[in-house]
Amino acid sequence: MNISLKITARLRARAMTDLVRPHPFAFERVGFLLCRPGPAAPDGWVLLGWDYQVVKDDDYEDDSIVGAMFGSGAIRKALQVAYSEPFSIIHVHLHDHMGTPQFSYIDARESARFVPDFWNVRPNLPHGAVVLSRNSACGYVWEPKVQKRLPLQSISIVGAPLRVIRNEHE
Amino acid sequence: MSKHQRQSFLGQGSEKTLRSLRVAIVGLGGGGSHVAQQLAHIGVGDIRPFDHDRVEETNLNRLIGATEDDVIRKTLKVDVAKRLIQAIDSKIEVAPYPTQWQNAATALHDVDVIFGCVDSFIERRQLEVLARRYLIPYIDIGMDVHEIEGYYVIGGQVFLSMPGQPCMQCLGLVTDESVAQEAARYGAAGDRAQVVWPNGVLASLAVGVLMQLVTPWCHAHRESLLLEYDGNSQTVSHSGKSDLLDLIRCPHFSSLQDLGDPFIE
Repeated sequence: MNISLKITARLRARAMTDLVRPHPFAFERVGFLLCRPGPAAPDGWVLLGWDYQVVKDDDYEDDSIVGAMFGSGAIRKALQVAYSEPFSIIHVHLHDHMGTPQFSYIDARESARFVPDFWNVRPNLPHGAVVLSRNSACGYVWEPKVQKRLPLQSISIVGAPLRVIRNEHE
Repeated sequence: MSKHQRQSFLGQGSEKTLRSLRVAIVGLGGGGSHVAQQLAHIGVGDIRPFDHDRVEETNLNRLIGATEDDVIRKTLKVDVAKRLIQAIDSKIEVAPYPTQWQNAATALHDVDVIFGCVDSFIERRQLEVLARRYLIPYIDIGMDVHEIEGYYVIGGQVFLSMPGQPCMQCLGLVTDESVAQEAARYGAAGDRAQVVWPNGVLASLAVGVLMQLVTPWCHAHRESLLLEYDGNSQTVSHSGKSDLLDLIRCPHFSSLQDLGDPFIE
């Protein structure tokens, strides 16, 4: 199944501006991309970035193991937006380096824990998690029809220049 | 030695970038067939041509790759394109759609760039709407011939319509009036007057727009671009409307309802 994510360069820049800010105690920041979905032939999805939701400082919890442990308030706020509009929710964080990022063991474990909860609000839509680097990205989506995690086949940064990051690993 | 060695100046990684690119060409007539040929030479890896028409004798004055045999066989234009592309580079994936593009619109949703090479203002507007809805840069080619005081004037333009930037409606390239009047506009020099060399100029400009968008060779990445072609003086210039591109905030595609599939919940 072909699933891709497209966001404008401006939306990515907004996300980056937020994610690079130091936090009083969390090692890294996170945010949520709110995306409108559409079908892709033959049975895939295209997720189209509409907005970026900042996780406020107060919604992080101090945790010595996980870089950014956000509390239930952060999730609840993202879900509230998805209640009112049919959004796919994509959790985003930054690995601050150049080149293709990868999910760490903790990234994979934690996203598998909370992303499927987004189905409680929008059960028919795919939701996921993306890791950005300074010049690349990778991600996974939990797909509602097959009820499992699938890799994003491509992530496009739409602007000038146009950047299309293909998944070459899976 | 790579077949693309002589375009290595396009930048490090450009060959890989182009090979991974997925491009749709809507309309495989005079303009689209030129675009198809050039994308094949450049090494774009995945090309989706859309056109429901078959080759007719009146196409042979401009349809790149078409032959007299195709007229006899009534070959689909998308099959001419596929044959042409894969004769140049057999590794290119070509998925032809021999139907009106509206009937296979989901096959456009996940492409990286759309070339619009259609005659009709209505179709151009519809294509731009789809491209905006799916965050796809849309490169539109338009050409026409007018009779003015006993002479003929060949004109055309290439427009890069980038999501978030001014659209064809913002710049007056497609208006309600032009949609209503388009039948009359093509009447001046015969039905839908088209000739090969302006098609070639405009297609080459359009492919150049793509190359500036995806490769770093000239560092001139522009989010929006309107080039005008004067076929009588044989000149190309940035439109006088170009100054507006940085000033206009497009009001036509700014709502959440303009993004993705409005019926999916």
